[in-house]
Amino acid sequence: MALMPKRVKFRKEFRRVRDRRATKGNYVAYGDFGLQSLERVWLPGRVIEAGRVAAQHFLKREGKLIIRVFPDKPISKKPLETRMGTGKAEVEYWAARVKPGTMLFEIAGVSEAVAKAAFVRVAMKMPVKCRLVGRRVSV
Amino acid sequence: MHEKAPVLKADLRSRLGTRYARRDRAQGLLPGVIYGHGQEPVAVSFQAEQAVRLIESGEKVFRLDMPGSAHADEGQMILVKDIQFDYLGDTIVHADFARVDLNERVRSRVHLDFHGEAKGLKTAGAVMLHPTTELDIECRVVDLPDAVVVEVAELDVDGVITAADVKLPLADMRLLTDGHAVVAQIVVQKEEVAAEATAVSAEAAGPEVIGEKERAEKAAAKEGGAKPAGGAAKPAAGGAAKPAAGGAAKPAAGGAAKPAPKK
Repeated sequence: MALMPKRVKFRKEFRRVRDRRATKGNYVAYGDFGLQSLERVWLPGRVIEAGRVAAQHFLKREGKLIIRVFPDKPISKKPLETRMGTGKAEVEYWAARVKPGTMLFEIAGVSEAVAKAAFVRVAMKMPVKCRLVGRRVSV
Repeated sequence: MHEKAPVLKADLRSRLGTRYARRDRAQGLLPGVIYGHGQEPVAVSFQAEQAVRLIESGEKVFRLDMPGSAHADEGQMILVKDIQFDYLGDTIVHADFARVDLNERVRSRVHLDFHGEAKGLKTAGAVMLHPTTELDIECRVVDLPDAVVVEVAELDVDGVITAADVKLPLADMRLLTDGHAVVAQIVVQKEEVAAEATAVSAEAAGPEVIGEKERAEKAAAKEGGAKPAGGAAKPAAGGAAKPAAGGAAKPAAGGAAKPAPKK
C-alpha cells in the first residue's frame, strides 16, 4: 500500500515552488544501478509502491531493491463542485518531491541487463521520463 | 607513478565566476583550480575532452603542462582532490587539484575491486551488497594504487568483510575509513508480506501529528477545569433559574395573556 510518514509536525503544508534541479540524492549511493528522474513531479506514494511491486515481481528474490524517495509531502485537494474558500482542503495523498536528477530506485547484486529489464518495468509506472545510470566516477 | 603520470595541459583563467566558467565549458574547456603547498590557488582551465577522459579512466596524479606561461606550477605534479558534477551526475563541470610531491604522504580515495565468486551466493535469494565501494587511505603519491583488490571467494551467507579486513597493497599505507565500515556482505532476501501488512495498518491509522495529542489533552484539561466549575454553576443556575423562570413566567404569562383575548 501507499507509503506515508508515521509522524508529522503539521497535518498540511504549502505547495512551495518546484523550479530547481536535484543537488542531493542525485547519484547512485547504495546499489550498483539506479533509476534517475529527468523531470520534476510530486510523486505519489502509491506510484512509488507500484514501481516497487513491478521491480520485485520481475526480480523475484534476486538482487536488492532500494527506494531512494519517500512521500513526505501532504497534497490536499478540494472535492469536486466545491466553492472556493472555507479553508484548506483535506489531505488527498502523500508525495515525494522529485526533481530532475533525483534517484528514484537503486538495485544491488544483479547484472546490468537484469537491472535494465527491471527498471524498464518500473519506468513504465513512473509519470516522468527516467533513465538507467550506474555508479559515477569519484576521487 | 611519476614516469607514467599523464600530462595535463592547462591554461590560466584570467576571468573568474559562473559566467566565464560557463563560457569556458561552451568552448570545450573544463574549469579547475590548483592549490596547496602554501602557495596561492590558481584558477586554470583544461581541455575538457582530455581531462575528463583521464579522470574517468581512474587517473589521479598528473604532471601539469602550462605552455606559454612562466608560472611556477609548470611541470608540477598534481593530485585530483575533488570533482563537481552537473545535476544529472554525468558531466564533470569542475575539478580541484592539489600540488603534491612524489614522496609526500597524501590522503586519497581508492576504488575497491572485488575478486572471486562468493560461495554464499549459491544460496537461493542471497545477494552481495557493497555499502562501501571506496576506501580513504593515506600513502605516498608514488604508491597510490589504482584500486585495492578484495577477495570475496570465501564470503558466506551473513558473512561480512569490513574495511579493517581489507589488505592494503603496502605496509606503510594507512586506512582512514572507519574499520567497521562494511565493504561486502551477503544477505538473504526476506519475504515482503510482513512489510506490506504493516504498511496497510499504518495507512489505515494515518500519520500522527506531533504535539496534537498533547494539545488536545491540554485543551480537554482546560475545558475539564472550567467544566466542573461551570458544571457546578450551570445546574445550580439552570436548576434554579430556568424552571423557576419558566414555571413562574410562562404559565403566569399564558394564564394571564390567553384568557384576556377571550374577554
